[in-house]
This record gives sequence, structure tokens and C-alpha cells, in this order.
Amino acid sequence: MAIAHNPLSVEVSLPREDVALVRVEGHLDLDTATEFQAHLANQLHHGRKHFLLDLSEVPFMDSSGMNIILRVYQEARELPGSVHVINPTAPVRRVLDLTGVSLTVPISEKVDEALALIDQGLPQVEAPDS
Amino acid sequence: MTMSRPPYEDAASPERPAPLGDAPSDGPPDDGPPPDTVSVTAADTPVAAPPPAGSGGTAGSEPSGDLSPVGRLAATVERLRREVRAAQAEAEGRALVELAKGVLVERLGCGPAAAARHLTELAEQAGVTPLELAVDVINQSAQDRLSEVTLGFLDTVAGRARAAEDAEAAVRLRTAESGALAAQDTQAVADSLLQHALGPLGAVAVAIWAAGPDGSLTLAGSAGFAPGESARWHYVPPDVATVARRGLTERTGHWVESLARTSLPSIGRHLFPDGGRVALPAGTGGRIHGVLEIVWPAPLVPQPPQVVRQMEALAELCAHTLETSRPPQASERPPGPLPDATELMDLAEGLHDPALVLVPHLDSAGGLADFRIQHVNSRFLDPAGRPRAVVNGALLLEAYPMAAGESELFQRVERVYATGEPFRARRMALTALVDEVALAATADISISRHGSCVLLIWRIEDETARLASLLQNAQRLGRIGGFEENLLTGEITWNGQMFALYGRPESSPPVPLERLAAHAHPDDAVTIGRFLRTLLHHRRPASAAFRLQRPDGVTRHMRVVAEPVLDTDDRPVALRGAYQDISSQHWTEVALAATRDQLAHTEQQAHERNRLTLQLQHAIMPPTHNTPLEVPGLQVAVRYRPAEEEQLVGGDWYDAVRLPSGLVMLCVGDVAGHGIEAATSMVVLRNALRGLAVTGAGPGQLLSWLNMVAHHLTGAVTATAVCGLYDPARGTLRWARAGHLPPVLVNGEAAVPLPLVKGLLLGAVPETRYEEGELDLATGDTLLMYTDGLIERRDRSVEESLSHLLSTARTVPPTLDQQLDRLLVHSRSDTDDDTCIVGIRVGPRTSDDGEPRDEESRAGESLHA
Repeated sequence: MAIAHNPLSVEVSLPREDVALVRVEGHLDLDTATEFQAHLANQLHHGRKHFLLDLSEVPFMDSSGMNIILRVYQEARELPGSVHVINPTAPVRRVLDLTGVSLTVPISEKVDEALALIDQGLPQVEAPDS
Repeated sequence: MTMSRPPYEDAASPERPAPLGDAPSDGPPDDGPPPDTVSVTAADTPVAAPPPAGSGGTAGSEPSGDLSPVGRLAATVERLRREVRAAQAEAEGRALVELAKGVLVERLGCGPAAAARHLTELAEQAGVTPLELAVDVINQSAQDRLSEVTLGFLDTVAGRARAAEDAEAAVRLRTAESGALAAQDTQAVADSLLQHALGPLGAVAVAIWAAGPDGSLTLAGSAGFAPGESARWHYVPPDVATVARRGLTERTGHWVESLARTSLPSIGRHLFPDGGRVALPAGTGGRIHGVLEIVWPAPLVPQPPQVVRQMEALAELCAHTLETSRPPQASERPPGPLPDATELMDLAEGLHDPALVLVPHLDSAGGLADFRIQHVNSRFLDPAGRPRAVVNGALLLEAYPMAAGESELFQRVERVYATGEPFRARRMALTALVDEVALAATADISISRHGSCVLLIWRIEDETARLASLLQNAQRLGRIGGFEENLLTGEITWNGQMFALYGRPESSPPVPLERLAAHAHPDDAVTIGRFLRTLLHHRRPASAAFRLQRPDGVTRHMRVVAEPVLDTDDRPVALRGAYQDISSQHWTEVALAATRDQLAHTEQQAHERNRLTLQLQHAIMPPTHNTPLEVPGLQVAVRYRPAEEEQLVGGDWYDAVRLPSGLVMLCVGDVAGHGIEAATSMVVLRNALRGLAVTGAGPGQLLSWLNMVAHHLTGAVTATAVCGLYDPARGTLRWARAGHLPPVLVNGEAAVPLPLVKGLLLGAVPETRYEEGELDLATGDTLLMYTDGLIERRDRSVEESLSHLLSTARTVPPTLDQQLDRLLVHSRSDTDDDTCIVGIRVGPRTSDDGEPRDEESRAGESLHA
């Protein structure tokens, strides 16, 4: 069993004052989720409202990683803010689709698209009709 | 006034001034060729005529013959003044003669009487007064900067026409020096300088400034200024440009021809508005302590070099005084300990001995209660062997409670702080407490006050410190006695604990290691022999366990460890080591055993929690074949495989139940996380879904409700689930999923996952909707629902894992149970996770179940939003 564990690399930049662009590189799993969460919590703490998670360099994400995304989504929703996933790899995209997270957390190809969605004030959750 | 200078004393001579009174190593500079003197007459000197104040007999002229009562009174006053001056001059002269006598006593090895006689004889031979000769002698002896100046006058004493006047100048300088040395403070120095040295040069006032570390100037002494002027100028803040301030920074001093031509303010400017000024840095040994400012009443033209040198010499004289006496303002500074402390901390770091910076710690009433150990330097060595961090920042009496005891260390510090008088002592006994065992240490102590802080330096004898650290380590482990034997002197040092271990009074002589066997059980003689041989013969550290027989008849099990201390030739010079009473280790073992029991108890608790989780799972979902459901024309099988590691048992669940409507509800779910919390949430969700299903709602609606349950009721857990309602009568399945892997339909050789109908996992948002799928199942069709424990792999995508599952599922064993077992066996999951599988296989339907259906796969045939 080859688990080549590359350490997670998380890089945060601020395309706008309240927007954190988080570039993640490495596997998002049980081992790295805590670190990922710490970065996001830190940005929340600094008052960011919108989170663009660039997962283009994440070859694998398990439920731990996905739960972090959901958690920041729940936090951001209260602000109100938003969470966007940018350009996920196919396996990650698959996980997001499988769990239905992509229904709630919009997926964009590029940062600009996500920023445009923020500008439109995308409704975070479609209202239940029943 | 006439002055001369020897040729070797060129104005450009850049020698560094030697500290006053320090003899230079090279020989006296007067063994050159006979000096060819250059004279400067009084008319040439640019300065104004000297004021009457003088000591060398140049007193003011007699008052005129006005004999009015007032005139007589004035004459009397003047006479008395003259007498006082003469007496003063005599006294000062006597001081110089005494100094010279002292030099002669030392040089000639004679007694004071002989020296006095010698001095008189020499003076007669040379044709000078004893006072002048005394100055000469001092000059020869001192070889300082003043000598350079005065020698020019004095070495040519014999036969020179101006000898008397030259000598007078030399005497003046030495008198000024003598006065400065005798002076108690800088103010007296200023008086003496003006009177003896500067007055004759035409100066009318002098100010001595002390430089603060911040560049401020404090007037330390002044003479010749109007009353009140010195008070107005007592302090010049940093960065305020004055004449004196300039003098501080310019190496050769700041020379002002006339104050009228400069904008610089200075003391006494209004009195002498166009007078000349000189501000010279007053430094010794490369350190500037202040500035000597000299005031002339008239404009100043460039001075001859020897005058310049005289003034430089005087500035140096001031520096000595400034160095030794602090300006009065220093003690009036506000008592902020920090600037002092920071400076002192830097100083302490530079010391090679352990040093503590102490700041006073006041009680609420403002009285001195204790000292805070503000800083310990990197050389700090605790007599009790503790690390620096423990001591740093503590109160002195807290860190060293014994300081208030016999050693009186605290009282010493207190006194130094109060009086400023430093305290020094060699081999002072300090007592440190090591785990409440008093340990005596000997240290050289130095205590001094700096500003509002106290610097405490101690040099603990090396061996003492080593013993202390040995003890510190040893006694932490348990009441160990430390010893040291000096093999050369036979001296043996035991600490108090040693006597206690041996059961001997502290007054008794310690037992040398060599005689150990005599105090041990006879059976241990061999062991002790081997121990001593290793230690003394092989000179290696050794240890031994033996039974100590104490004089009180008690036998104790002891362990002794010792090491030899070798000199440079590898000969043992000392032995040191420790005894430990291992009888008492019994108690340690008892304590350890108790801890172990407690640990086992904790482990057992954890184990029980895990077992409870498992039991919970089992109670709710019987793990194997006892299928809970009998539905005609439908085989139902379930598998639950708990994680191999108990603590990973968690939140997977399945359910298969026939509803009142006749529909069969099938479900698998997976709560995120593990352990009892996940399991409880699982129970909540599973039961909720059962209950909700009774309403007859469709699977999408059920999951939507279940999502609300997860979000609100289970404490923010997330879970995935898939839920299907099978209608046995029609052979159709309606299903929905909440973030869960879709079911797999196996039909003959084909195994395909059902499409990913939309549905977010449970609990992430308060409300959401779930898409439904519907398909018809034909006879022989198998539908599998499972949790990701079945397939999840770290190194594979979901697709890859799924395709493996599909290929395993394709080979259809005769029974559904076999198929599920096979799936579990061939599962390629690499995570040790719970796994649930629910499978249904449509059998040939009975008549009341309706018509048999054809067998083609209908996966994803129809979808309902």
C-alpha cells in the first residue's frame, strides 16, 4: 500500500479585502484536514466572507476534507458569505458531486467566474418549496 | 606671565592622554637634549590680565592709603582674606610637599624624616623652594599629562631667568590637581580649577558638565558665574545645542572666539556676551564623562599649544572627578527601574560570573518588601541547581528563602540598596534549599547599587555547584545523599542527607568509601570490593547495591554510585557520588502499581465504551444472516461488518423494513465519525427514518425530513444515506440519495451503478431537496446498497473503487447471501471502516405479486425530480 504522503500546502491570497483565495496542494484527507481547517478558521477569524478554494492541485479528497468544506460553508452562510470551489480535479469533482456538495457549493473553472458569482450575490441555498 | 615649552612637546603631539596618576611604561621624557625654551610673554597672551585670585603669592595689591573707617575696614577684610588665602595656599602646598615626601619614601626606601630632609637639601641645591621641588618630584614620579606640561618649566629650574615664574605655573597645575583630588565633589573641583589653574590663564569662570548616557548635560560644578546662574543651567536636555554640548562631540573641544559671533547659548552668556569660550571633552580611558567649559571675559584668540595642553590636562582632571562622583541630579531621577535595569542587564550579560539584576519590590504601603529578580545572566548558576528560568522573575526571598537566614544575604542586598555602598565578601556561606534539604554553598559575593537596581554577583565554587546539580538531580529521584572525598587531603564532604542515611549524627566524621564494607552486611563484602576496585583501580564510574547496617541496628538497602575525578595525568584526585536508600523504592513501586491499576481501569473503560458501541450496533442491526424480513418474491440480505479496531466502530447503518403500505423500505447510511457519538446519531437517524417512512411519503421527501433531523437533532453531524421504497406488487423501486454512493444494479453479467440523482448529504444545511429515481426490477435482478467502507481507498478515485466493486458483483453466486459474503471478502477497501451492505434479489413472483417482468436492466430508466 503506497501512501506517498505529500505534506499539504495551503496558500492564501486576498483578491479582495473580504475574499480569501485558498490554493491547496496535496491530499485532503484525515491526516491533512485539520491543517486545512486551521487555515480556513484563521481566514474566518480575519473577517473574510467569501472563500475560493482552489482544489486544482488536490488529487484526492476524502470525507474529512469534504467535511471541512461543509463546515466553512456553514460558517460563511451565517455571515452571510459564500464558498466556491475552483477547478477541482476529476476525483475531487466526483466526490463533490457524489455527496451533493456541488449542489450547494458552486464550482467554477476560474477565480474570475467565482468572483463574478460573488458579485451577483448568488443565493446560497435554493429555498425548499415544500 | 611667562611660559615656556620644551621642543619635544610640539603642539601637534597627538598622544593619548594617560590617566592621571598612572605611570606610563616608557621612561621619563626628560632625557632628551636640553630644552630650548620658547617664551611667551604676558603681553603676548591674548587673554585678559589675570584676576587677583592666585595662590603662588600673586595676591592682589595692597589697598590704597585711604584710612577712612570704611577704608580701614576694607583693608582689614582684605588682609584677613589674604591671610586666609595664604593659609589655604600653604595648606595646599603642604599637601604637595607631603605627596612628594611619600614619593621619596617609596623611591629611596627611606623614612619620612629622611625624605623631608632630602627634599629640603635638594631644594637648596637647586635653588628652588621646597614646594617647587615637590612638584618636580611628583612630576617625575607621575609622568602623566600634567607632567608633560609642568616639566617644560621645571627641568630647567637651575640657572634660568624665568625659572621662578615657570615653576610657579607648574606649581599651579599641581596645586589644582591636589585640590581636585582632595575635593569631595565636582563643585570643589571647579573652585580649585578656577582659583589655581584657570584664573592665571585669564579665565573668569568655569563650568564642569557631567554627560548623561542620553546625551544630556548636568552642571556638576561651576565657579565664577553670577549667583543663580548655575541653578538656571543645572540641566541641559539631550539634543539641545549649547557650547558645552558641542564640546562633548568634538574631540579637540569646541573653541569659541567670542560668544557674540555664535548663536549658541551657554551658561553666563549675559555676563560675558562677547567673551571667549572653550568647551573641552573631559574623558579618561577613552570614555567621555563630561565637558569642561572655560569662560574668558574678552574675545579669545588662538592659544599657544602649551596652554591648550594645560587645559586638556585640566579637562582630564575633571573627568576623574566626574567618574568618581555622580552629579547630584542623578539621585533625583524618577525611580523608574526599567532604563536602569535594561542597562544593567546588558552589563550583567557581559560578566563572567553569575549575576542577578534585582529591582526593589514594594509592598502596598510603598515599603521595601523584597527584590524581584529582574534578570539572571547566561552565566547564572543556581546554588540549588535549578534551571535559570525558575529563578528568573521570582522574588529573591521566594527563590532563596534562606537568604534571610544566617547568610544575611538579603540584609546585605537591602543595605546596599539603601546606602549605595557596595558590599563585597569572599567565601560567604550561602544556604540553598534543595527539596527542603539545606545545602551549604560557598560563594564570593559582590553587591552594588546601580540607579534603582541592585547587581548581585556570586561566584560559587565550581565543585559546590557541581555537587549542587548532582544533588538536585539525585534528590528529585528520592532523598539521595551526596558525598565527595578529596583523595589528596583526605577531606570528605557529606551533605546532611548522607548522615541521615547512615543514621549518624551530623557532628560525627563521615565514613570514607574505602571503609564502606565495615558498615555493610558481611555478605555484601564481595560486591563492595568489586565496586571499589572499579572505582579506584580502573578509575571508572561504578555502582553497587548493598545492605547498610546502621549503628541503630536498622538495615537499609542502599545503592551507591560514584565516579573518580581525575587530574590531567589521569590520577584520581577525588571521588564523588551518591547513596540512595532503595528500601524506600518499595513505596515507589507501590505507587507505580497503583498508577498502573488506574491506567488499566481507564483502558477498561475505553474498552467498555467501544464494546457498548458495538453492542449498540449489534442490537440494532444483527450482523449476519437472520434476515429480518420475509417478503414473498423478494430475497433480502444484509451484512454489517464492524471495523476491526473497536474504536473505529461507528455510524454505519442499514435498514430493511416492510411498511404498513406493503412497500419495503431499504436504506443504508453512514454517519461521519466514529465511536459512541456517531453510533448514537446513527440510532437517531435510523429510527427517525423508520418513523417517517410510516407516513407513506416518497424517498425524496423522507430524506428531506431526515436532513432536518440530522441538522437539528443530532448536534451538527453530517451523514450520507440512500433510501429506497420497493413495491413488491409492481416490482418498482423509487429511491433517493443524500450524498451517498448510488445503489448498484446487478443483472446477469452486468453490474451498473444507478445514476447520481441530486441530493446533498444530511445535516449540512437546514433544508434541502432530494431528487428521486425510479426503476423496474425484473426477476433475478439484484440491487445492492452499501457504505463506502466497502470500497474506499486512499489511492483510488471513487470510480476506480466502484469499478472494482462492479466487477466483483458481476459474478452472481446462487444465493444473495453468498453474493454479499463474496463482496465483503473481495472488498479492496484499505480503510478499516464499518461496512454495511443491503441486497435484494427479485425472485419469481407469486401470483398475488402480479405478472413476472422481463429481465432487461432498467437502471436509470426514469427519474423524477
